[in-house]
Amino acid sequence: MNELVENLRRRFEEDLATIDSMETWKAVRDKYLARESGAITAELKKIRDLPKEVRPAFGQAMNALRAYAEEKLQERLSMAKAAELSSRQKHVDVTRPGFPFALGSMHPVKRLQIEIEEIFVNLGFQVLNLNEIETDYYNFEALNMPRNHPARDAQDTFYFDDTLLLRTHCTSVDVHAMETMRPPIRAVTTGKVYRRDSFDATHSPMFYQVDVVVVDEGITMGDMKGMLEVFLKRIFHPGIQMRLRPGFFPFVEPGAEVDISCIFCSGKGCSKCKQSGWIEILGAGMIHPKVLRMSGLDDSRYSGFAWGLGIDRVAILKHGVDDIRHFFENDLRFLRQF
Amino acid sequence: MKISLEWLQDYVEIRESPQKLKEDLSMIGLLVESIEDFKGSPVLEIEVTSNRPDCLSYLGIAREVAALYGRTVRKPPQKDKLTISPERIPYEIVIKDPILCPRYVALLLDGVKVADSPAWMQARLEASGMRPLNNVVDITNYVLLEMGHPLHAFDFHKLRQAKIVVAPAVSGEKIQTLDGVVRQLDEQMLLINDGEGGVAIAGVMGGLNSEISSTTTHVLLESAYFDPGSIRRTSKKLGLSTEASYRFERGADWDNTIPAIARACFLMEQITGGCIAGSLKDIYPKKKEPVRIRLNGDHANSLLGVKLEAEFIESTLERLGFQLEAQGENIWTVTCPTYRADMEVEADLIEELARFYGYQNIPATLPPSKSIGSHSPTFLVENAIRNILIGQGYSEAINLSFANEQDHREFPPLEGERIAVRNPLTEDTQYMRTSLIPSLVRSAKRNFNYGQNQVLLFEIGKVYYKGPHGAPSERNAIGILGTGGFVGQNWANPTAVYDFFHMKGVLVALLRGIRIRTFDVEPISGMTWLNPAEAAVVKISGESIGVLGALAPELQDKYKLRQVIYLAELDFDRLIPYAFPPIQFQPLPKYPSVERDVSILVGKELAYQALSRGILGLQIPELVGLDLIDVYEGEKIPPGKVSLTLRFTFQDRERTLTVDRVQGFIDTILSFLLKTYGAELRFL
Repeated sequence: MNELVENLRRRFEEDLATIDSMETWKAVRDKYLARESGAITAELKKIRDLPKEVRPAFGQAMNALRAYAEEKLQERLSMAKAAELSSRQKHVDVTRPGFPFALGSMHPVKRLQIEIEEIFVNLGFQVLNLNEIETDYYNFEALNMPRNHPARDAQDTFYFDDTLLLRTHCTSVDVHAMETMRPPIRAVTTGKVYRRDSFDATHSPMFYQVDVVVVDEGITMGDMKGMLEVFLKRIFHPGIQMRLRPGFFPFVEPGAEVDISCIFCSGKGCSKCKQSGWIEILGAGMIHPKVLRMSGLDDSRYSGFAWGLGIDRVAILKHGVDDIRHFFENDLRFLRQF
Repeated sequence: MKISLEWLQDYVEIRESPQKLKEDLSMIGLLVESIEDFKGSPVLEIEVTSNRPDCLSYLGIAREVAALYGRTVRKPPQKDKLTISPERIPYEIVIKDPILCPRYVALLLDGVKVADSPAWMQARLEASGMRPLNNVVDITNYVLLEMGHPLHAFDFHKLRQAKIVVAPAVSGEKIQTLDGVVRQLDEQMLLINDGEGGVAIAGVMGGLNSEISSTTTHVLLESAYFDPGSIRRTSKKLGLSTEASYRFERGADWDNTIPAIARACFLMEQITGGCIAGSLKDIYPKKKEPVRIRLNGDHANSLLGVKLEAEFIESTLERLGFQLEAQGENIWTVTCPTYRADMEVEADLIEELARFYGYQNIPATLPPSKSIGSHSPTFLVENAIRNILIGQGYSEAINLSFANEQDHREFPPLEGERIAVRNPLTEDTQYMRTSLIPSLVRSAKRNFNYGQNQVLLFEIGKVYYKGPHGAPSERNAIGILGTGGFVGQNWANPTAVYDFFHMKGVLVALLRGIRIRTFDVEPISGMTWLNPAEAAVVKISGESIGVLGALAPELQDKYKLRQVIYLAELDFDRLIPYAFPPIQFQPLPKYPSVERDVSILVGKELAYQALSRGILGLQIPELVGLDLIDVYEGEKIPPGKVSLTLRFTFQDRERTLTVDRVQGFIDTILSFLLKTYGAELRFL
């Protein structure tokens, strides 16, 4: 009888020693302690077949063995768990490159275009989509640039016929907005514009502009300055300085050239700003009363301002791009930098 | 305009350093681009805007400097008496077209000795960027620079009659100008003739036939005012821009004609020994009135957002040569100087006030916002598509909007007619593009040349067609290009190469990303630029919205492309109505779904779409998903057959699916496939 218990104990101890994982631990537990088929459990069930007088001693010994087995298994459990976890720790060379998940790049000019539109939407502007093929009237005449106006010289134009052309600026948004919206007007448009210039490092027959128009009662040049400052600080840097100089654009009066403090030298003077500390960035002004009238607004009641700037130029300044052609050649070595 | 400070100081006192002057002039609208040194004297390069012809002279700049610093302008000496009696040599001036030539002033001198001009004059001309020729021509140029009024000198003996007639040219009439070029004129161009023929193109350039030469003794000086639009038209049409035409087309000063000729006469007497032989002729059929503008100080204040004192308004404008007549409190009638060709409306005067008040002194304010901002209606969809494509590894390209002849031949548009540019720059800008594809292919080629094998690009941009009635129309398109090592390629899976299904997969991601769930991709024929074996059309509700496929092998060879390029072009505008439909939430199923994979053998020619449509046509409500997860051909597969592994997903929203029910669905499907397509079960 004792021999049976001792054998069982010895076998259990042998099996216990082989435990090296959760799997083997469970196997040993089930082999001896499973409810139906465990060796110890089975022996205990057989107790009814034994003569009455040996039952207590056998039961006691077997129960002691079961308690012993449970205790030993419990001791082994943490070791088995640790072994189990360490077996799942397969070495990986973490310095190998991660799989190259696909990631393209947004075109730097588009990114700025979206950023700029976002700024104006936040300032209460409506973004207008306008056609690139425009009439001479909207591109020039309604902007106070009749045929034979010298200011047209600066904008050599691609024509389709006598009246249709590729817009040379986005400024026609002034007229379209004033014709289709009622004051208060806050409208902005962005997009491609075209000039009949050959491709070189600083010229492109196509580039991007943003043009802004605000019309209401009582709009002042001070308002124009305030909004310019908000815009320029957002798009460049909160620390930049701005200055306005008198400038000439036929569709505004007074007109202004807007400079920002040189972003390369913070205004101290460098080769990029020709030692002046300032960089010319955009043209602006109070909408010419003739333009207001031509667009059907009462110039004695309403006033407004407009400005326009080249988005590519902002991109060139912000990223230090040395050649405007990079923007339209789609070299991935360029595009992936953004 | 080059302004030598040595010369400028003749007319106005300058105490400021060149650097200070540069800053101050820039802030009143005369941008000084640089300061250069000419033989020890600083020369300012001033950018004069096209509305300020009055500043295209030393006196003009001196007026601005004087107004800026509160100084006075010193006028140069002139000949007082410009008539002689009796006239020694009579001559005649006739204006035939007083609209195009409102005023013509002339003076005749004789006893002129043509020689080099004095060194000081030569130096000043050179400092201002002009080449000295001889004393007579140099004097006309000197006065042009000094006073801003273009003069012309004729050799009087070379005129065939003692007269000057200002009249439109006869169409086709020719004249050889001073630069030696024979130019053909039209009837809208103003010609100066001597009664026999042309001797100068008015306001643009003199004729070679009346040129001042070393033997010239009699000089007829011209000081005229020509209509700006006419001069500009002539100059543009002839492609000939001169110092004279540059000023006339911007607007000269008709009242400056006599002072300029008087100044030139003074210099001619001093330098060439000439003296008046024929009196001043001033043909001025209709006196031009100076511009008068009513100025209300309150308007200035409300436009600028400042508070200007009446005294500031008066003193500023008066210093600039305007005359003010008070019309009430803070209201004036302002008479503008005749040299200010830019003065038209009250706002022009307000700008003068702002210039001298200082733009920098206008306080920055923000107008109250009364409107709600909004993006353009297509912004959301465009940006979603952009972000999906970038997330799939594609980089955004921007190409020029032009196309050449070859592009149109090789990539003919699906519909519509191309638009031609009337004045293209090169043959590459002859047409507007009708497709984004040709320039994307060129971009890929450029990248191949730089050693990039994997090229993934997209462009969202406009294409241009002739619309109804020939009017141009612009449509937004999406072009996608993929080639080379697929984006899933990596060191664990090094052989993946971009193929048709990558492109199709990206399109599906794009459409799903803007929540277009129902669309068809079907074979298409007749797309000459696509490989007919790999060309497909994308349709939504039967409407074609784009095509995709591999570039045609002929074009691949022609462009010398070493690898197959996959392309897609979608009509963005047609996608818009389908994008982002409203979403109705579906309650989440309470019971788990069940997946079953089934491999079947079918004939190779069977299109997957036919198979999938057939299965979905069985309308088993519990079948919520069908995917193709493996395709196998080769050993163990009979020839002409292909093994497809399909993954079915079943779901019952009301109860847990039993194994038996799922088997029932599978059996239904398999017996359908067997009956309809002869499909055999390979394994479950």
